[in-house]
This record gives sequence, structure tokens and C-alpha cells, in this order.
Amino acid sequence: RTSTTRTYRGEMLTYYYNSRYRAKPLCYHCVESKFRVRLCVKCYFLILYNMGNKSSVMLDEQDIKALQADTGFSGSQIERLYSRFTSLDKGGSGSLSREDFLRIPELAINPLGDRIVHAFFKEGTDDRVNFKDFVTVLAHFRPIKRSQENKLNGRDEKLRFAFKMYDLDDDDAISRDELLAVLHMMVGENISEDQLNSIAERTILEADKDNDQMISFREFCTALDRTDVEQKMSIKFLK
Amino acid sequence: MTGPNYSNKSRVFGLLLSFALIAGWLGTSAHAFSVVTTGGTNTTADGGDLGNATINGTLRDASRSSDDGTVHHMERFPVIVQDFGRVETPFIISLWIFCACLGKIGFHMSPRFSKMFPESCMLILLGVIIGLLLFYTHAATVSPLTANVFFIYMLPPIILDAGYFMPNRLFFDHLGTILMFAVVGTIWNTLTIGISLYALSLTGIFGDMYELPILHMLLFSSLISAVDPIAVLAVFEEIQVEEVLFILVFGESLLNDGITVVLYHMFEGFSVLGQYNLIMQDYLAASASFLLVALGGTAIGIIWGFLTAFVTRFTKDVRVIEPVFIFVMSYLAYLNAEIFHLSGILSITFCGIAMKNYTTQNISIKSQTTVKYAMKMLAQSSETIIFMFLGVSTVHDDHSWNSAFVGLTILFCSVYRVLGILMLSAVANTFRVQKIDFVQKFVLSYGGLRGAVAFALVLTIDKDIIPAQPMFVTTTIAVVYFTVFFQGITIKPLVEMLGVRKSSHRKLTMNERLHERSMDYLMAGVEDIIGKHGNFYLRDKFKRFNTKYLTPCLVRDTQWSEPKLLETLNYIKMEEAMSYMHNSGHPPEQIESFAALYRTAHNAAHNAQLKQGDGQMIGEIWNLDVAELEYNPTAKHINDANFHHMLSDEYKPIKKRRHGGTYKRHAVQDEEMVEGSTTETHRNRNIRQPFVNHHHRYHHRKNKDGINGKAGGSDHIQKLNGTAITLRNDYIEQQMRDNPAFQPDDTDPGSYGAMENKDKAYKRMSIRGPVVAETTLPWRRHILADRPTRASIVQRRQSVDVDNDHVPTMAEMLLPWKRGDDLDGNSEPRHAEHPAWASNEDYIDTDSPSNTYLRRIGDVAKPNIQDIFKKRNSSASLYSISESSNGLKEALRRHSNQSSPKKEDGRKRSHEKSAYSRRSSLKDESYWRSALSDVPRRGMSMRDSRENSEPSSRRSSVRDIPSEVGGHGGSLLNTAITEEEPRASPGGTTPSPRAEHVINMEPAGDTPNTLETDRDETKF
Repeated sequence: RTSTTRTYRGEMLTYYYNSRYRAKPLCYHCVESKFRVRLCVKCYFLILYNMGNKSSVMLDEQDIKALQADTGFSGSQIERLYSRFTSLDKGGSGSLSREDFLRIPELAINPLGDRIVHAFFKEGTDDRVNFKDFVTVLAHFRPIKRSQENKLNGRDEKLRFAFKMYDLDDDDAISRDELLAVLHMMVGENISEDQLNSIAERTILEADKDNDQMISFREFCTALDRTDVEQKMSIKFLK
Repeated sequence: MTGPNYSNKSRVFGLLLSFALIAGWLGTSAHAFSVVTTGGTNTTADGGDLGNATINGTLRDASRSSDDGTVHHMERFPVIVQDFGRVETPFIISLWIFCACLGKIGFHMSPRFSKMFPESCMLILLGVIIGLLLFYTHAATVSPLTANVFFIYMLPPIILDAGYFMPNRLFFDHLGTILMFAVVGTIWNTLTIGISLYALSLTGIFGDMYELPILHMLLFSSLISAVDPIAVLAVFEEIQVEEVLFILVFGESLLNDGITVVLYHMFEGFSVLGQYNLIMQDYLAASASFLLVALGGTAIGIIWGFLTAFVTRFTKDVRVIEPVFIFVMSYLAYLNAEIFHLSGILSITFCGIAMKNYTTQNISIKSQTTVKYAMKMLAQSSETIIFMFLGVSTVHDDHSWNSAFVGLTILFCSVYRVLGILMLSAVANTFRVQKIDFVQKFVLSYGGLRGAVAFALVLTIDKDIIPAQPMFVTTTIAVVYFTVFFQGITIKPLVEMLGVRKSSHRKLTMNERLHERSMDYLMAGVEDIIGKHGNFYLRDKFKRFNTKYLTPCLVRDTQWSEPKLLETLNYIKMEEAMSYMHNSGHPPEQIESFAALYRTAHNAAHNAQLKQGDGQMIGEIWNLDVAELEYNPTAKHINDANFHHMLSDEYKPIKKRRHGGTYKRHAVQDEEMVEGSTTETHRNRNIRQPFVNHHHRYHHRKNKDGINGKAGGSDHIQKLNGTAITLRNDYIEQQMRDNPAFQPDDTDPGSYGAMENKDKAYKRMSIRGPVVAETTLPWRRHILADRPTRASIVQRRQSVDVDNDHVPTMAEMLLPWKRGDDLDGNSEPRHAEHPAWASNEDYIDTDSPSNTYLRRIGDVAKPNIQDIFKKRNSSASLYSISESSNGLKEALRRHSNQSSPKKEDGRKRSHEKSAYSRRSSLKDESYWRSALSDVPRRGMSMRDSRENSEPSSRRSSVRDIPSEVGGHGGSLLNTAITEEEPRASPGGTTPSPRAEHVINMEPAGDTPNTLETDRDETKF
């Protein structure tokens, strides 16, 4: 098979590819132009450069379909995310490392940047994020639509994600120390320890229903009962 | 207002009086008026005759005499001169406001009306009534609501209030949608209404009274299509819909002002130029001015806002004028924009938005309150006046009613509003995360109220240029009435019917505040990852810019990058303190500190023991040895402690007014300015640490010398003037650690919920789990015989009493071991060579401590140590030991053979006498300061008295303890009870009879102590 046709934004497009170049990291421009005609020089270089590397997932129709089913993104959204993914993937390995993420300048100075990046990495994997993981994590932030049920972007899932920001040791509970640590990240230096302490204490005191000095996920949800999490933790993904 | 002649004026005056009579409770004030006027003008007049005729008559007399006074006779020096003309305008205006406010009171008094009608309706009706009165008595040739008055004086307070208290976050979250509604929606409405009306006018349906070119129609439609912020506020504040909906409607009504002003001026200018003289340049200029007016107004507002923030940065010493800056500078922003015919509304709105975050950090809390209430008051009163004037202005004979025009205008306004909203929200939904649903669309379109802005604008139309102006005025009034009355009244039931979510006015909890902040960061991060430059991204950028550049420039003390978190914290604390104050019957003295808590724990334990033991002393006898005392605070106690500290943090009792306190115009008694309060706050907090941060104390034992040495001594008094005066946690930890009662532990039962901390590794030997009293009050090390030989001690003592700069921390004063010699450094905590009981002869009979304790193990015949002490204790009370602090001699006198109630009285008396007692010191000093300074002095005095009358006092006061007992035993009891005692009596609770108190020592905890003590002692 040397070419495949699929519909992109109502147009029938023919994509040419060589099975040898299945691992095709493409430059942003080429992905954006949907390889309509031919690849740019940079992409050829990339392809040549990566020929010997391990293969990664080249987006093809089946993958997109599967991802769509899993995450609820539309096809074009997935393609857009893929282009973003490849542009983040500086090494062209088809997966992202922590460094790849933290190369985004804003994310690097985001106080929760490390935590956010950490959330992309699954427990016990080899510290790389492939495209599927990438999309799956991002699917948490899709706006909730009443019409379509999706397990990834429900209120609980969103809350779970927010919860994970605090749960530094992955023990499913926020201890006072974890809270303090996150507070430290958020408010930076030169703050009186007292104030931070009392904020942390107050937070735990408020949320802690079973008096174990920890905030469990349930307690976390209860504390945010009246917050419009659906709205606050949703992003309008571009079509 | 042009000055009418005297007779006219007098009629106005009479009328005002008459409607004042109608308005309600004016009998007395009318009387006062008439007396004044008659008395003034005609000394021979028939006294206090009430009634308008008399007043008018006398006024007329006065006017005549002043007209031709020179002819008749020479004017003698009058006792009182009546000169209404001089005060006419402000007087009438004040009367307006007065009446309107009376009306408001009446309106809210009858719940049936106030439920049914919005307030604005009532005000308009009241205005109409007054207008009718004025009209039929031919008094009012004045039209009170001129466009100038409206735009220069009435509008700014309302808009400033709206801008300053705008929920910024919400506003900027929905800014895109709001802007679309405001800009596109207004243009859409203007064009469609104007063109439709023009098209219909071509059919001749409006008659041929006026000629209606398209430009005039567009001018009219431009002013009629703008949603009015005042009307919207008035109605929506009552129906309380959810925040998002409110901000959409209200934001639109605020921001469309820019567009309205532009369109209005544009069409006005075009009309002046004439339809056929317009060239391309005019259109271009119009579009350019559109951008300029909106953006320029906004820019001016923001600049003034930042300026205000910058100025308030320096108002620390003149707190009183802080609100002035806020009001005046935002008003200047408004006027400044108006100079260039830019949008003043946008200007003052954004001025309020821009300054708010910074000024609130700069100005004092009192100023904030002042600003808040003054703003609300001004806004309320100008809103009141506006609606009333709207009613008054309705009544005049220049109306030009055209049913078709009015009807069609109302129809078009409603229809195109609905259409516009449907269209625009469809567009908005494509980029909104939270879609605008049907109900919201409905409320949005139904909430498109027109109001006073339109009316004021239509009044400014020049009749010479636009002949149809009277018809426009009438129609505008009709539209305003329709929207305010019909829509305003029906919107409430409709909203309830449709089940629009109501807003919940509440403050965020700490959790919500914190987690929302972290969600913001999270979402900003996610937007970075997917490479989208959305809302969160922009906010994050701005926030960063703000903390880096703006805040340092505009805010005085920037040390905290999340002021909102702290704000919420303080607010919550405050709330709780308040509710606690209200809910608990106790005055705050009762929930006192440490000692009170300690006492409650004490009593509770004691009572429990009594109950369970049904009068008989069993093995578990209440333990008077404070070091052994079990302090197992329940959640309630901890909460009490927290509340107490909250109260002391947030609340300072109002200083008792100095007798004949002086009036100062330039200064308010501003507590916040007192630096000391912060230090006190921190001191209090420090004391709380051992209770609240309790896991901090599990730490490894470090170098003791470092703790008690010089370095350690300075460790805990840090930066007295800074915000971070912390008696550092580790210092307390170290103190705890030093307490030999602690032993490594892995499974600390944590009587009040210890957190499982990894580095906590100490175990108490006591059976009952960690005893806080034990850990916090390690008086074991305290030696009675310590003498202040070293200079440092003397110096320190002086510093406590004299030196204000070196204020001892609370811990220093409360925790007795700090007072001991181990504070002066260079020394280990000293211990007696032998434990207290070691020198007890009875005890020595027993073979080993363990044997004694584990009674009936081994030889039953041997006396148990409990029995030994019980024997000695049963007769006398240990209670009076406390008196060694307050007045030793009294104590001695009263000590023997007094029954407990009497003793109680005596104690109280002694307290009242005592110079150091809380109550007396409360009078002249602030509560907390006194409470704090109280303690060390008491400690000192105790120690002094002990030293002075060392042998006798101790023997007598501690006589129930074996006299041979080592010094520290006595001191230990002394200190503990002194701590507790003074607080017990003001509360008035009758403590349980102390005669039954029996010393009970726990075995396990002590044995290692002894050993350790011995080892330590060898170093000396």
C-alpha cells in the first residue's frame, strides 16, 4: 500500500507514504499542511535522521478511530494534537520525555509544571509518553457535553487529576506535608512559614471529615462540591 | 436651575412641604420649618401656625418687603433672615433624596410589595406622584434630571460601585462573550431598529407630524438600543441569578456604553452635517472614533486606576484620606475621559477594576470598609434619585405621543434583542467552554432593560436639529417604563418558573480557594502543553507580569504572591471567631489559653475519675503531678484553642476610651498601625504551635548544647518587627525533645490524631500514650533552688520588665522552663540529683521504684507510693500553693483549715487586689498585652517570693508534699498551678474540692528519667 485516502475537513485527500518511512516525524509545517503535496526539506532530513531509530506510531486511520473512541476527541482534534505532539518531540523518537515537556518555556516556570508533567507519566512505565498516553491524559480536559458520555472527562476524572497535583507520593491522600510542599511551589519564596502553615492546617481541617489529618480523594471531592469543576477544568480544544 | 422669582419659590417650598407631609412622618419637621420661617420673617406673626397658606403668606410678605423695603421704613437688624434662594438647589435635592429614602423604607416595610415589584418601579411611581403634584400645582418648571446632572453627578457613583466590586475573575473569564454582546449586539440592535423604524416610517404609519430621515432614526435607535446598567443592576440584584448570567448581562450593559456613546455622537454629528453632506472621511472618522472612544476610555481608566494604587501606597500615615483618593481619582478618571468625549463609563469601570486589587492591599481594613459603604451608599442614593427623577420628568406637557411609533419601538426592541442574543450566543457557544443554554439565552434577552442612560441621552438631543425630539423623548420614556415595569416585574416569576440557577453569595472556603488556584496553574500548564493560547494562558501570563512588575510598584508590602489565599484564610478565621463569639455563652476570657485548656482537661479528667470511682479511690487516681498529667485534648479542646487564638489574632478588644478622649480630625485610632499587634499575633501563634503543629516535635535529638546555649537562646526571638517573628518550630521541637519523657516511638497512638510522619520516631514510655502536658511542660528539669546569680539572668529579667524592644515571646513567659536558668545558656537542663520521691523516707523503704508502683506485686505489705502520698494529701489542699504567686502572706494566712468555698472567695478577692490580675490590667492595657505581660511578672514574683521567704513559704505552702522532697518537686507544682489558677477564678466555675487530689506518679515514665537525670547531673 503506497497511498491512502481519507477525508480531511470534507476534502478527499490522498496521503502518500512509504512503508519504510513509517516512523515519520514531521515538522510542524508539514503536519499542518497535512502532507498534502510533499514534505519540506526539514522533514526529509528528519526522516533520514530517524531512519535507524525505533519506530513510533504514525497516525493512520485506525489509530485515529481508536483514539476517537477512547478519548472522545474528534479526528481533526487528534490530528492537531498529533502535530503538537511531534513538535514537542524534539528527538523525533515518537514519544516524549520529561525534558521534552519542560522545554516549553511557560510550563517550565509553571509552579505546578513538574506535577503536571508527572501526571502524564504512568506508574511503572519507562518514562516516555507516547501519543496515545498524551491524548488520553489531555482528554481529561475536554468540556463535558451532556449528550455524550465519556469516562475520561467526567467530573470525577477532572477532580482526580487536580487531586494528583497534590498527591506527591501517590498514596491517594493529601497529607499536610504534601499540601505544604505544593503551597510552597505555588506561592514561591519569602513567605512566612506561619502563614503557609496555617493555610495548610485550615485546608486540612476544613476538608478532613474522618480526622485522619489527611485529605482523601472523597474528602477532596466533597470540599469542591460547589465548585464548577466542569467549567474550570475544561479547555476548548480547537477543531 | 434658573432662579425663579420669590413667589414661585415660595410655592415650591410650600409644595415640598406638602408632599413631605404626604410622604409620611413629617408632622414634626414641618412644624419646625414653619416656626423658623415665621419667626424669622415676621416677629409679630401668629406664632407657630401650621399650614401652607400662612407660610406662603409670610413669604410673600417677606418678598414684598424686600422688594420695596427701602421705600417704607428703614430695615432694622433682623433677628433671623429668611433666604431660601440661597440654599434652594441643595435643599430641594436633599429633600428629594430624603423622600426617596423614606419611600424605600416604606417599600421594604411591606413585604408583599417588595416581593412583587422591583424597587425601581416603586421609585419611578413615587417620582410620578411627586411629578404630578408639582405639575398640577404648577410649581415645577424645573426639570431636575438634565443630561449634564445625570452624566456628571449621578452616573459615576453607580458605575464606580459596579466596577470596583466587579468580580474580576468572572468578568475576564467571560470578557469575550461580553464584548461580543456589547459591541456587536449594540450595533446590531441600533442598525436593525433604526432601519426597521425608518422603513415603516416610509409607509406613513407614524403620521406626518415630523419628518423622519434615516439618520434621525438611527440616532434614536442608537440610544434606545443600549441596555442600561442601572436598570439591569436594580433588577438583577433582586432576582439573584447565577453569577455567570449576571456578569453577562451586566458586563454587556457596562461595556456597551462605549458603543452607545460613539454611535450616538456619530449619528448626532451626521445629523448636524446633514444626510447628503457626508463624505467618506466622515465615515472613516466615525469608525476611528469608535475605537478611540472605547479603547481610549479604557486606557484612561486603567492609568488612573494604577495611579490610585500607586498613591495609596504612601498613605500609611494618613489613613483617613485613603478613601478620598479612591473616590476622587476614579471620578477624575471619569471626568478625564469625558473631556475628550471618550467613554466615561468604561473609564471609571476599568479604573475600579484596575485599582481594586492593589488598593485593597494598601489601605487599611477600616478604610476598606469605609470605601465599601460609602460607595454603596452613593450608588444607592444616586440610583434612587435617578429613578425618581425619571418619574418626575415623565410629567410634563411637552409630550408627543405617537402610539404606532411607541408600540413599534417596543416591539422592535424586544424582537431584535431576542434575535441578537440568539445569534450572538450561537456564535459565542462555538468558542465557549460553558455553553449558553436556552434558559440563559432567555434571561439574557429578557434582561435587556433600558433606563436612565437612554433617557438622559435623549434629553440632550437638540430640538432644533432634530424636530422629532419630543416624540423621541416620549417614546424613550415609554420604552423605559415598559422594560422597567413589565419586564422588571415579570422577570422574577419567570426566572423562578424556568428554574434559573440562583447565585449563592458566599465566600470561598480555604479548600476552594486553594484548589481553584492550583487548577488555574494546572490548566495554564495544560494549555502550554497543547500549545493553545487561551484564557488560562493569558491569565497566567498576566499574573506573572503582575507579580513581577505591577505589584512591587503598586503595593506597599509585597511579600506574598497569593494575597487571595491569605485573604480567605483571614476571612474564615474571622468568621469562625465571630460565630464562636456569638454562639458560645462564654466571654472570651474563659476560653483563655493554655492554662485554661489545661484546666478544663484537668477538671474533666478529674470528674470522670470521680464518677467512675464512685467516691472510692481506686488505682487510677487523679494525678496532680502536672508533669504526669495527661492532657488528651479532644477535638473540642483543640478547636477551642484555635478559636481562642483566632480571637486573639483577629480580635483585639476595643480599647477603653480614655476619659475625655480628644477629638482628632486627622487621625483615627487605627489599631492596625500599631506594630505591636503583629508581634503579638505571632507570639500567640507560637504558643499554638505545640498544639497544632504537633507532629513537628518528633524529631531527632540533636545537640543539646546548641539548643540551650547562647545560639539557641537567640534562636527563638527573631526579627521582632518583621512579620516572621517566629519562635521557630524547631526551637519548640527541641524543647520538646529535651523532655526526657520522650522516647523513640514508631507507633505513636496520637491522642489527637497525629499524622503518620516518617521522621517521627519517638515513643513515650507512659502507658496512656503521649501526654501533652508532659511534653510541653518539662518542669522536671526545673530546679527550685536556681538562683539568678549570673548576669544574664538578671539582664533578662530586666528586659522582660523594662525593655520594650525586647519583648519576650509568649513561650518565654508561659513556659516555665524558659524562665529557669537553662535559658541563660551554657548549661544543660539541670536535674536534681535524685528524683523528688527519692528522699522520701517512706519510699526508701520500698525496694525499687517499680515495686512501689506496681503495687501488690511482691510484698503486699509494703506501702504503695500512692498510699504514701495519699495519706499526706488527704488533709490539705495543694490549691493554695498558687497563692505564692499572688500574695504569699495571704495564702499563708488562709491556708490552713479553710473550707473550699471560703477559699474560693478569698482567692477571688486576692485576685481583685492583685495588681497583676487579669481583670484589673484589662482596664488600662489592651487585653492581650496584659495577658502576656501578666505571666512573666507573675512568674517573677513567684520566684522572688520564693527566694525571699524560701524555707518557710515552701514548707507551709507545699506542706502536703514531703518536706524533704527535692526542690524541683515543689517548683513543679508551684509553677503548674500558678499557671492555671488565676484563670480559674474569673470564670466563676467552682473547682472540685482539691482536698481529694492525690499525687499519683506513673512508674514507667520516671525510671529512665532518673537515670538520665543522674547522668546529666554529673556534668556539673
